[in-house]
Amino acid sequence: VSADATVAAPARRWSAVRRASGSIAGRLVLASAAFAVLVALAFGVLVATVTDLREAAKHETQAREVTVAVLALERLVADLDTGVRSFALTGDERFLRPYTAARTELPELLGTFRRLAGDEPATRLLADEIAARIRSYVDDFAVPLVAIARESPGAAQGPDAIQEDRRRTDEIRSRFARLRGMVDAESSRSAAAATDRARQAVAVGLAGFLLSATLVLLIGLFLVFSIGRPVRAAAGTASRMAEGDFSGRVPERGPGEVRELARTFNRMAAELEHRQRALERQNEQLRTSEQSKSELVSIVSHEVRTPLASVLGFTALLLQREFEPAERRRYLEIVDAQGKRLAALLDDFLDVQRLEEGRLELARERVDVAALLREQVQLYEAQSGSHALSLHLPGGPLAVVGDTGRLAQVVGNLLSNAIKYSPAGGGVEVEADRSGDLVRIRVRDHGLGIPEEQQEQIFTKFFRGDAASSGIAGSGLGLAFARAVVEAHGGAIGFRSVAGRGSTFWVELPSAAAGRARQD
Amino acid sequence: LPGTDEDLRLRPTRPVVLVCEDDASLRELMRLALGRDFDVVDATDGEESLELARNLRPDVILVDLMLPKVLGLDVIRSLRGNGWHAPVVALSAWTHLDREALAAGADRFLAKPFEPDELRATIAELLEQAA
Repeated sequence: VSADATVAAPARRWSAVRRASGSIAGRLVLASAAFAVLVALAFGVLVATVTDLREAAKHETQAREVTVAVLALERLVADLDTGVRSFALTGDERFLRPYTAARTELPELLGTFRRLAGDEPATRLLADEIAARIRSYVDDFAVPLVAIARESPGAAQGPDAIQEDRRRTDEIRSRFARLRGMVDAESSRSAAAATDRARQAVAVGLAGFLLSATLVLLIGLFLVFSIGRPVRAAAGTASRMAEGDFSGRVPERGPGEVRELARTFNRMAAELEHRQRALERQNEQLRTSEQSKSELVSIVSHEVRTPLASVLGFTALLLQREFEPAERRRYLEIVDAQGKRLAALLDDFLDVQRLEEGRLELARERVDVAALLREQVQLYEAQSGSHALSLHLPGGPLAVVGDTGRLAQVVGNLLSNAIKYSPAGGGVEVEADRSGDLVRIRVRDHGLGIPEEQQEQIFTKFFRGDAASSGIAGSGLGLAFARAVVEAHGGAIGFRSVAGRGSTFWVELPSAAAGRARQD
Repeated sequence: LPGTDEDLRLRPTRPVVLVCEDDASLRELMRLALGRDFDVVDATDGEESLELARNLRPDVILVDLMLPKVLGLDVIRSLRGNGWHAPVVALSAWTHLDREALAAGADRFLAKPFEPDELRATIAELLEQAA
């Protein structure tokens, strides 16, 4: 765990850095820091250069002062030399005056000279040597010579003394020349260095300025591209959305805040698009339901008017005329049958209404499918003279659990369809068997069949295919109702059909045994 | 021309009405309503209607517009197309088909349900006009 922690910590720090550098704020802070560092660097170089220049100026002043001190000291040595030599040759005390003056000035001048010679070891060494030689010239040569000359003028006039004097003063002069050369060289070196520094400072300043300008330009471009562009894109998409087109999205790129904005914007657009689609779907559903309502009105109108014509027609005749009792009874039976047909129609519509609202309540009782099929086949056989209904059943009951009335309606609908869609008459075969946990019912006709392109729709409410135009009566509700009832029983319904050759409809229902087993 | 006289004598004195209707109750109703004044013959689909019309040459034809096999409107068009001039009455529960029925060549349109007397009166009127 601790090893993990030590590994994780730098990683966390790194990711924090990356997060910061990913955001606009982070990038601006980094850019400002870089800018500040650049400016600080340029400023530092300028300060160093100014310091160097001031140093160089000081060196120059010092060099000038040294030169002045050297010249003054040279003049003093010349005065000493001239005074000593003239006095030695002539013995005239007047010639000794420059010598005397120079000796008075000497200590102070030497002090100044040595102070000015500075800290440079070579210069200082040479200056000390010069001072020592001057002192030695005065103490070891000039003073004794003047004393000798005063006591015995002849002894001081010899060529040896003159020669010694020249040797000593020449050595001092040559060292003065060397010292001046050294000071001059130092001064010019310092001046050259200062010039170089100044040149460098100008270059660094210029580079710093250019870099800063570039950096400012880059920050500007960054702002334009990373903020300006996405914001413009979002504005364009938003204005298209205002016009009702919700399909537009903005690219989720750029620094953190902009990416976040784009992501949020896209989420909002997706949500709006989703809601708009939902609204459109609802509208479409409303339109469809309006359409099916008007179809319903039209179908009801037709389906109700036909039996009503019989009811009202026969009633009118029964009221107008006298009939034999047998005749009257027959007509009353027709009125009764047609009235029941109307009632059944109403029930159908109410059932479908309940189906649509999901409140069709089913009984859960034991139903013998074999008995149910026998009843229904008998009922429909009686209604049609031109169709031969046959029934094949295995021995014994076929028990399922469900609603007898509704299941009878389902079978009735299938039989009624088989008859209606075999207008030329013919056989209708009904069979049922038990297969595993299922009870299967099949109703087969040899009638019109269902064209392939209509096969997907036949369980759709009010769909009647070509039935309406072929004069086949019906509400288009039978199969929709049948499927809803069968599925509510946990079963399935389907068909095979070839146009022109007939259809076979099948229903599968869980057997009562299977239902009990499942419940246990 | 005794043969001709014989033929004339055998001709039915009452007008013949052909009823084309697929609903059995309504066929019976019309037979009952019209049976006193006319000889009623009925057909249950479009094909049968056209065949009977050709063979019997009825005086009036009643056509339900929703007939199996050949639609009522097509029966009327076919009759008119073959030079049929006798009155045709269209019947339908689809009350909005009146204009189409008249355009196809029907003389009258009756919506279901209809009064038996109204039907009889309509046929009588048409026969009078045709005479």
